[in-house]
Amino acid sequence: MIAALQRYWRAGALILVAAGILALALGGYLAPAFKVVTAPLISAQRWVSTRYMAVYEMVRSPQDVASLREENMRLEQENALLQSQIIQLQEQLKDSAILEALLQFARQRPNDSYVAASVIMRDPSPFLRYVIIDQGSDLGLRRGMPVVTAEGLVGRVDAVVANAARVQLITDSASAVNVRLSKSGIEAVLTGSITGDVSMEMIPQTASLQAGDVILTSGLGGNYPSNILVGQVLNVRRLETELFQTASVQPAVNFSNLQAVLVVTSFSPADVSPLIPAGTAP
Amino acid sequence: MIGVILAVPVFLVVLMLQTTVMSTLPLLDGTADLVLLVLLAWSVQERVRSAVEWAAIGGALVGIISHAPLVAPIAGYLVVAILARVLRARIWQSPLVSLFLATFAGSVILPAFTWAALQFEGTSLPLVESINRVVLPGALLNLLLALPVYTIIAGLAQSVYPEEVAE
Repeated sequence: MIAALQRYWRAGALILVAAGILALALGGYLAPAFKVVTAPLISAQRWVSTRYMAVYEMVRSPQDVASLREENMRLEQENALLQSQIIQLQEQLKDSAILEALLQFARQRPNDSYVAASVIMRDPSPFLRYVIIDQGSDLGLRRGMPVVTAEGLVGRVDAVVANAARVQLITDSASAVNVRLSKSGIEAVLTGSITGDVSMEMIPQTASLQAGDVILTSGLGGNYPSNILVGQVLNVRRLETELFQTASVQPAVNFSNLQAVLVVTSFSPADVSPLIPAGTAP
Repeated sequence: MIGVILAVPVFLVVLMLQTTVMSTLPLLDGTADLVLLVLLAWSVQERVRSAVEWAAIGGALVGIISHAPLVAPIAGYLVVAILARVLRARIWQSPLVSLFLATFAGSVILPAFTWAALQFEGTSLPLVESINRVVLPGALLNLLLALPVYTIIAGLAQSVYPEEVAE
């Protein structure tokens, strides 16, 4: 027994010391001592690591720059692609907004049938206010059919081929539309001009009208359906010496930014020329 | 012959630009006439012999698209092309002077033809307003664009009618 104790007392003492140190460490009593010991070691390790990484980066840098350039190029291409997709989507959004407005207009007049068309060009002559649309007789377009947008009256079809049509705008010098004032029911003729300004003429001197009055098509003459919004009165010119008053009109449609239109295919203009006595037609 | 055939694709491209881009960039109510500028730039080239054919083709294409009577652009462009050739022959030392003179003259003559044809058709256009708001601003735009168009067309003419090298 004594012999065994003599053999193992050192081991037992070491175990006890180790257990004591472990207990002290777990209890947090050795932290300051560890800090004192490890601080220089950590500083030395950091110093070595920083220098080593610097050397490592220097050795690997050509390879990294090449891969970074490649990555950058790929990202730039991806960015350009995404940018173009954004532009395309914005354009599509704009188109859908226009088409939705046109659809809304068509829903408000369920008895009429429409063909939607895009404006693809304008008349090359600066004297004329005509546009060319991308639908023609293949979809049932005929000469004289009214053309509208969600905002109001645009004009009417002047000439048609299979897949395109030329539309005379109400701002054209030769355009004349029979209109009436929504509030008072006064009838007049809306004419265009060389400058694209629109005016209302043949207003009786007795008629009372003011700026802001809404103008609709009257349907007289059979060239346009009735009750399509045309615009608003801007100002009135009344001279006692003249037979009629005239009024400047702000069209409801923005003709400088005309992109999509609706052709009213259910409306056929009435041919009243046989009823007009010979020699009196304009 | 190739010089004549070339007029069709050239004027088709020019008309596309005219009816989509130029018509949306007015000065007052006048717009630059690219067809006129191309025709004039072609006509004042020394070696070109197909100016009249180009005038007829350009005029016909414009006449097909426009509501203006067909005769107006055809006759207008023919007169302008002949005038450009005459000016080129008279002022042979300086093609640019003849180009600018022809551009100004063309910018007045061509609208005059269209204006007269529309009047004849029954469309009433006020003369003074037409000159002030359409013809003169259009002429200014044409003069501004004459040189760039001339540069492009001169290159085209050079490739179609290359100069003979004396040996």
